[in-house]
Amino acid sequence: MNSDMNKQQDAVRIQEADFSIEAEVDALRATSKRIGGITTFLGCARDFSEGRDVFSINFEQYAGMATRAMLSLRDEALEKFEIIDLRIVHRVTTVHAGDKIVLIVVGAEHRGPAFEACEWIIDSLKQRVPIWKKEVTPDGDSWVTEHP
Amino acid sequence: MIKILFFGSIAAKIGRREMMIDRCGLTLADVVKEAGLETFKPLLVAVNQQQEHDLNILIQDGDEVAMMPPFAGG
Repeated sequence: MNSDMNKQQDAVRIQEADFSIEAEVDALRATSKRIGGITTFLGCARDFSEGRDVFSINFEQYAGMATRAMLSLRDEALEKFEIIDLRIVHRVTTVHAGDKIVLIVVGAEHRGPAFEACEWIIDSLKQRVPIWKKEVTPDGDSWVTEHP
Repeated sequence: MIKILFFGSIAAKIGRREMMIDRCGLTLADVVKEAGLETFKPLLVAVNQQQEHDLNILIQDGDEVAMMPPFAGG
């Protein structure tokens, strides 16, 4: 396995474990001294959804296809926007209110493309990456079907 | 053999995560029907981990077909 592939797989990960925002930002900063702006999107678990309490959220993925879809998003974003590098980390496990779920970190020379790419990546991830979530509520379990 | 995988609300609805079909000459639409999901909407389908929109393609022996509800990551 060459170093480019290792770098790519480290930059795009699906994992059960929590992640460090600072570690991911530092890893991105270390890729290039030309980076002048870094944007982040952090998705967190809410304790309320659709008018009811949410105790926890269980995530499920189509292993293999989900990682490939995220790698594809990374490649497309690097082509589409004037950005230097990016990282995507998504947890697939059971999370509770306040827990971190997904992190996108984008580095660019200037802030504009970094903001645009970050929004495009999270919007595209919700539509194209085979991950699902089930909310555990006082009324029972409920699969989330929309991606607002 | 064709391996069919079920995810999310579909797996919950039909009470299983996978099934095998030992038949040849099936289209993707046939496989969806064999899985009992021809009326499930919206249904996303992948063949060998690539999303597929053409239900007329022929499924080959050894293929892996995934039946998926709309994605909801993030």
